[in-house]
Amino acid sequence: MKIKIIMISIFILTFLFSSEGQKKLQTSPGGYHGELDFPISWKRYYSYAEWTKIMHDLARQYSHLADIQSLGKSRMGREMYLLTITNKSIGKAEDKPAMWVDGAIHGNEVNGITCSLYLAWYLLTRYDYDPYVNHLVNHYTFYVLPGLNVDANDSYVTWPNTANNPREPYRPEDDDGDGLYDEDQTEDVDGDGELSMMYIEDPKGDFKFSSDGRRFIRISDPNDPARRFRLLGPEGFDNDGDGRLNEDDLGGPDPNRNFPADWNLPQGHPYPLSEPETRNVYEFWLKHPNIFASFHYHNIGRLIMFTTPPRLQLSLTPEQRQQRQQQFEQRLAELRQTNKYAQLFDIEVPPEYQEDLRVQTEIVTMGARILKNYRPTPSGRVGQAQAASYEMVGRYAYLIELWGTPDFDADENGDGRVSDEEFLKWIDIDLTGEGWINPHKVKHPDYGEIWIGGTAKKHITRTPPARYMEEEALRNTHFVLYCVSQFPKVEISEVKITPLTSDLFWIDVTVKNDRAYPTSSDRAVQLGKATLDKLIFNSSAGISLIELPAAQSALDLINRTSFAPVAPGKEIEFRLKGHDARTFRYLIKMTTPEGWVEFKVISKNGGQDSKRLTIKASS
Amino acid sequence: MGSSPIIWKTARFILPFLLFLPFILTWSSPVLASSKVPIKFDSFHGYSGTVDYLKAVSRAYPNLTELIEIGRSSLGRPIYVLVLTNMKTGVALDTLIPLRNSRNEVKNVPPMKRHQGKPGQWICGATHGNEFTGTEVCLYIIDKLLTGYENDLEIRRLLDEKVFYICPIVNPDGVYNSVEAGLSQRGNVMLRDDDGDGRINEDGPDDLNRDGFITQFRYKDPKGEFVIDEVDSRLMVRLQPGEKTNKERYSVILEDIDNDKDGKRGEDPASGIDLNRNFPEGWFRADGFPGGQGDYPTSAPEVQALAEFFTNYRNILMAQFFHTSGGFTYRPMGSSPDTAVHRKDAAVYDFILGKKYLEIIGEPIPEAWQQPEEMEKFKAALRGRTRNRYALERGYEFPRGWRVSYNENEDRPYGYGLQADWIYRQYGAYSVTTELWNPLKDIPGFPELKEDTPRSEIQRALLRYQDEKYGGKLFLSWKKFRHPELGEGEIGGWLPAYSGNNAYPGEPLLNVCEKHWQFELFRAKLLPEIVISEVKTKFLYQADSSLSATVNQEIDQAIIKKGQPKGKYSIVEIKAIIENKGELPTHVARGASLALNREDIVWLLGDRDKIKFLIGSPWQRLGVLEGQLKIPVGLAQEESTSRESLSSGQPTLSSQIRLRSETQPTESQTVKILSPSAREVTWVISIEGQTTLKIVASSQKGGTKVKEVILE
Repeated sequence: MKIKIIMISIFILTFLFSSEGQKKLQTSPGGYHGELDFPISWKRYYSYAEWTKIMHDLARQYSHLADIQSLGKSRMGREMYLLTITNKSIGKAEDKPAMWVDGAIHGNEVNGITCSLYLAWYLLTRYDYDPYVNHLVNHYTFYVLPGLNVDANDSYVTWPNTANNPREPYRPEDDDGDGLYDEDQTEDVDGDGELSMMYIEDPKGDFKFSSDGRRFIRISDPNDPARRFRLLGPEGFDNDGDGRLNEDDLGGPDPNRNFPADWNLPQGHPYPLSEPETRNVYEFWLKHPNIFASFHYHNIGRLIMFTTPPRLQLSLTPEQRQQRQQQFEQRLAELRQTNKYAQLFDIEVPPEYQEDLRVQTEIVTMGARILKNYRPTPSGRVGQAQAASYEMVGRYAYLIELWGTPDFDADENGDGRVSDEEFLKWIDIDLTGEGWINPHKVKHPDYGEIWIGGTAKKHITRTPPARYMEEEALRNTHFVLYCVSQFPKVEISEVKITPLTSDLFWIDVTVKNDRAYPTSSDRAVQLGKATLDKLIFNSSAGISLIELPAAQSALDLINRTSFAPVAPGKEIEFRLKGHDARTFRYLIKMTTPEGWVEFKVISKNGGQDSKRLTIKASS
Repeated sequence: MGSSPIIWKTARFILPFLLFLPFILTWSSPVLASSKVPIKFDSFHGYSGTVDYLKAVSRAYPNLTELIEIGRSSLGRPIYVLVLTNMKTGVALDTLIPLRNSRNEVKNVPPMKRHQGKPGQWICGATHGNEFTGTEVCLYIIDKLLTGYENDLEIRRLLDEKVFYICPIVNPDGVYNSVEAGLSQRGNVMLRDDDGDGRINEDGPDDLNRDGFITQFRYKDPKGEFVIDEVDSRLMVRLQPGEKTNKERYSVILEDIDNDKDGKRGEDPASGIDLNRNFPEGWFRADGFPGGQGDYPTSAPEVQALAEFFTNYRNILMAQFFHTSGGFTYRPMGSSPDTAVHRKDAAVYDFILGKKYLEIIGEPIPEAWQQPEEMEKFKAALRGRTRNRYALERGYEFPRGWRVSYNENEDRPYGYGLQADWIYRQYGAYSVTTELWNPLKDIPGFPELKEDTPRSEIQRALLRYQDEKYGGKLFLSWKKFRHPELGEGEIGGWLPAYSGNNAYPGEPLLNVCEKHWQFELFRAKLLPEIVISEVKTKFLYQADSSLSATVNQEIDQAIIKKGQPKGKYSIVEIKAIIENKGELPTHVARGASLALNREDIVWLLGDRDKIKFLIGSPWQRLGVLEGQLKIPVGLAQEESTSRESLSSGQPTLSSQIRLRSETQPTESQTVKILSPSAREVTWVISIEGQTTLKIVASSQKGGTKVKEVILE
């Protein structure tokens, strides 16, 4: 069943989109697709000033497709720029179903900026050349916020930092409880532009040099006669003189615990959406009900984390649990015999949420196929942006954990992991030596003589070396585009007339949605935020509808395929699920020799379609 | 974007309203002679009057006040907090501790204010726009404090040592509409299209007779639910559902027409959400769906202003949120059962604060509160007499005047997202919500009526009272009016400001003010007070001149090599005693473990180039210093943690909370517990040459104190 659905999806991807009068249609995979129309290097990281200039330049050069606006200011007063991408001549951005993409809610996860910026660039430069992109930009809207946590994003790119800092917005906090705020931060002690680790020589220390002298390694043998070192921690000074270093660094609450879904004080303090950065984003979401799904870029681990409905807690005996587990694994193994990317999740959700689980499974199955070595897994909830997007506003949401261990290049012995030695060889061979800080002696004002080094540089572990970024950004862009291509689309696929007499007819109308996503999520329905799809009957003067009770009707009692539900009125409401079709039956009386009936389907997220049938009686 | 039409439409009628006010009252209340900014309570100040007053006192008393704008309402009206304290006392911790080699790339930390180093009390009014009696009580308290500073030693001491943060109006738009614009409005203003017709706030109530007030329109209606009262024909009495009557039936609505001609009246008014349902504590229901109001907790700008203020001012241990009416106080919780309140805090609330409050309002104090040590006896006595399981666990039912809003009998929340709950559970202060104004008690000589007296009888008495004392000007007599949509009828009724929510200006209001000033004064006097009560020093070694040295050690022989002269050198032992001389502990029971809170600490400071810490680290945790007041705890059973999940957004496992100073004893901690409220800290330091040494004791809610160390 799953396989069939995916085949359908591929079919849609490849053939459905016709080129609607494209200027520079390019159908050869070897041909020019516009990438030099806006030249940009994807082999480096950009500072706030640089990436916002790129956004402004894109909006200027592609002014018919893109707008730039600020969502508001960050704590330190930086504008939070957002690109809105759609073909404005075919309808306003806010009238089209939209995808939201944000990058780097965590300050240090700046490869998310690259990925979202790449998406914008890809859409705009390829628009005139690529029919797939052309179609999506014509009919959908993309809201792209490359850096969400702009203050910390800029610090991370611009200043010396470890791979893990700065992560949070800059609300002052007293991390160590000494009564002072952010008073003891890390510092680049040796002034080399990198933030490494500090060691001091100490006969009681438990580190020594590795044999090549490039790393500090932990001593396992207590009698090891090696020259010993003690780890002091990341580079820094004792700013407040309390005998500890870097114990109250910059950074307030985790912004991805600050959203109002399953929020709690210890993790999401001080209150929901307390940070200007998170509040600006959420207020925008509320004012844009056309957003249908959202992507949120993080690192690391190569994960497709997707929102799932509330779960049912099953009370199973250990035997039942084991049996359930076995059945699950067996089903998954069967699916993977034909598709190694097949996904299945051992999750039990209430009946009213089945469609959300189904479509998310389908979408992330394709995600695993497009992103290759990414693993789909249900996302967390507590105060997280994607959880709020789904639970509070009813949108399908995805948290992408970019990058991870470079096993594809570095794992030499094929054990599936990268040892410290393999990692260093990767830096030496694949990065031609760029990226390592060798231990070196430094004079420290608080400690005297110390050693600094033995670590990778900033863009080596959590954010990839710049040369690795473009391929990953491209695949992630493809996954976002796939999701948009699966936004619902309603069609009237058939209008069929069956006469009872010469002036009395049954008319069967079939509406369908071929795409993976339903016209609104189960969650939106439960929140009372869903707008139902409408099928509206209209006719010429001589034709009228005979109203029947809402029930199943039969054209032929012994032929079950002739059964269909009666349309209970001129306007009926329903929700089309993904890959769904519904047939409604109308009983029509015609008092004139000629007339017409018209059916129109209107869906907030799935667009509109109408069909008119002219009826002539002849003798 | 257009502002709310109803505001500006009714604003035209402010002038006649203001002209009309002086006639309401025939007496004048005494003006306090010593005040530089005299204030009277014979009319309501409203938003404009309150702001004028706050600005005037902040100009007149620069050494005792600071006026802070903490945010703005939906319509852009500033929300003010008046800080009251001696601006020349208090210690800003950040000025005492010099930092070195700092990165300084990001300037995100504002300088501390001296009053942040003092124990604080928060008092606010008018979270609900039409409940502005609290605003008047706030102004009364401001006046009492400022005038008292000159002539009352107790108040002078309070303002020297403590700080009051008074926010008379939390909801400026609601108060402006309720007082200045003559429209009783509980919620804030939201620029929101309620009916989805593409227009914002286009159909609210209307001042049909153009008298400056939105009163009522009554008209004969066979389906109406009101009849005219048999005793006083001005009063409308609501029929019980299904009640039969031979009298003429009426419908009673607000003055209102269908402004946008959509067939509905008043479907898109300026009125927004109930701000007291928009706070983070218990805003979500257990199933994850919203329970409170607003798009998310703190979505209202007025609520965010408060949330941000409390986030930045961590020194508040007492909080009052004035509402109306009823003449009683809710202590937390409303969104969770009483098991969410730590038993120690419940004891402070009920046996100390509640007892005093009942005394002030003149209501009987439960027997159990007078003998908390006998609680088992009271529990036994309750058995079989109540189905309130929380009362059975506690040992007492709440009296009328002091209670929780959580419905204990039916075990369900009173509401979601309540402000006092939030302050207690997530900020850590003894917060209460006092419902001001009980005409039966606050009007002198009001006829003897009981709580269960029918509403109509109280209404009759109130009408008579305003006839006699206010010349009948609080109630607009019914006058014929032809409604363009409903036809013939009459307009009249209580003026919006007096329709039942607020104490009448003059004597009744002054009674309310005085009682609650007394209560807030009582609470302020309970605040903790950190004191460095003793510092003892002892020279362990002293030399007038010394040399630096290095060592070269063989197995059994050491050769010391003399180096450069270092000058004077000494080793000193310093012992300091830090005490809380105030009544209450420096945190509520779980306070120190809440996010952004910390334990009490002590620093020893000196020139970093000259001193070395040999024993004891430069700053140390003291835990939470108890106060002098004996809190009768340990009576009820340990709170259960299983019920904690009922409301979201709260710390878990509260009964297992351990302070950091208890869980992480290190060799550098040299704190000795002398008593629950006192600690002794010992340091041994070496000093090269001479330096000034200071001890700084700092408690978030108990104050920061500094003492210079005199070396004997």
